Amino acid sequence: MPSDKMTQGIGALLVLLGIIIILTPWVIFPVCEVHDIYMVLQSGVKMPMPCGWTARAETGIGALIVVAGGLLLARKTPETKQAVGVFSIAAGVLVILFPTVIIGMCKLADHPCRQLTLPALEILGAAVIIIGGYLLWKRE
Amino acid sequence: MSNSHEFGFFRLLVRNLSNRSYRNIATIFVFAFIAATLFSSQYLMNGAQASLDTGMSRMGADILVVPEEYAAAGQTVILSGQPSSFFFNDSSYEKISRIPGVAKASPQIYIATLFASCCAAPLQMIAIDPENDFTISTWLKENPGVKLGKDDIIIGSAVIQDVGNDLPFYGHTFHVVGILKQTGMGVDNSVFTRFEDAYVMADESELKAVKKLTIPPRMVSAVLVKVDPGTSPSAVAREIQDQIPGTKTITPNGLLNTVSGQLGAVRRLLNGTTLAVTIVSIPLLAFISAMVAHERRREIAILRALGATKTYVVRLMLAESFSIAIIGSLIGIGGAMVVLVFFQDFIATSLKIPFIIPSPLALLVDGGTALFLCAGIGGIASLYPAILINRSEPYETIRKGES
Repeated sequence: MPSDKMTQGIGALLVLLGIIIILTPWVIFPVCEVHDIYMVLQSGVKMPMPCGWTARAETGIGALIVVAGGLLLARKTPETKQAVGVFSIAAGVLVILFPTVIIGMCKLADHPCRQLTLPALEILGAAVIIIGGYLLWKRE
Repeated sequence: MSNSHEFGFFRLLVRNLSNRSYRNIATIFVFAFIAATLFSSQYLMNGAQASLDTGMSRMGADILVVPEEYAAAGQTVILSGQPSSFFFNDSSYEKISRIPGVAKASPQIYIATLFASCCAAPLQMIAIDPENDFTISTWLKENPGVKLGKDDIIIGSAVIQDVGNDLPFYGHTFHVVGILKQTGMGVDNSVFTRFEDAYVMADESELKAVKKLTIPPRMVSAVLVKVDPGTSPSAVAREIQDQIPGTKTITPNGLLNTVSGQLGAVRRLLNGTTLAVTIVSIPLLAFISAMVAHERRREIAILRALGATKTYVVRLMLAESFSIAIIGSLIGIGGAMVVLVFFQDFIATSLKIPFIIPSPLALLVDGGTALFLCAGIGGIASLYPAILINRSEPYETIRKGES
């Protein structure tokens, strides 16, 4: 059973990971539209590429992970750990699935979103899943 | 008896390691850093080598002959698939075929396609003569159901399209009949078609494309050469350059040298860092070991008084050191591998090198080397303190500790 200090540390780590997930597609490893690469329609209208929509989805998921981490900081009961654990696993899976399956990234291998944003989100998603799994394992 | 002795040894080992967790974590970090830098350096070189091997075997040629002034562009086409168009007179192709040592020669025409929109990047189109070709022929033999017919194309692994779909180039619609395996080289960004279809595409381009494509008649871009078995490709390459002025030959060895040059700075940096960290860490780790040994004089003396032999104590201290070194190395290698695999495309593009994940055997060798070096450093650093502590008399140490 993780001690209160340990649980607090995990909560803080989740908050930090959530913030990094929010910042990754916009600041740390920005997606194409931050590099001013857009899809230009025949009418001349600029539209974000798939990576832009993925970035928006990741912002939402990142915010939810921050809330989950905050919840763990506020309440350290086994039930909270279990709930946050399950949620973190699901959120981590979504962090990986948004850029790979659900929305995707640009298809060209030399686009910044594929080279940097995608692998970074995959690693961050895996980290959130591992933390969720640990919380579930040590929930009592 | 023997079992309880073994149990006692490992239990003692684990307890000793967990008792000094903060100091051990710092030491583990040092080993992780050494292992990660060493592994990364080996991994990058092996990845580039594996990519070159796969790419050259896909190309099927021992020598590539290109116009002298386009030698750099020719290398770029092979290494990264950066689109380029250049030509020289195809009479050179006939002359090359007659040079002693040349078993087979095959001409190719390189056409840089147009950049149309976000999802149709410029690609390198390579027109081949299916009768003489040996770039695609090996792949076609492996896939007997596939034929490169009229308006058919075989695409590299990085080209975004599925088999059975169409891809337009210069307004001409081509049909995808096959996708080549990933090589990490220019072939991945290339599209292969027949000479006839490339000429038709060029003729139609004035009306159908935003930019006219011109393929000069009786001109080719490169000639791929396969040498006779037992003949040195470099000797034949020299002969081609001597006999046909204005041509430049590219060989796998030459490409490897180019890649090694491009990787040189990064490898020097990684190796230099490993060396510097190793040189600094051996005395530092030895100092930490000596400090720990000094702190543990009484503990060791009690162990000795309880009947532990000198060898047992040395074994225990070395085992602790090896365990820390191995844990650190595994963390370092694992971390480096995650970063190198996930950011593979970015690394290859930034360093401008062909790159694929090395073979499992190469990975084992790279990881094993890093692990062995770290275990060696750990062993060297803890050996002297272990011997030193064993020289002291248990009774004296316990007595001094009490006073």
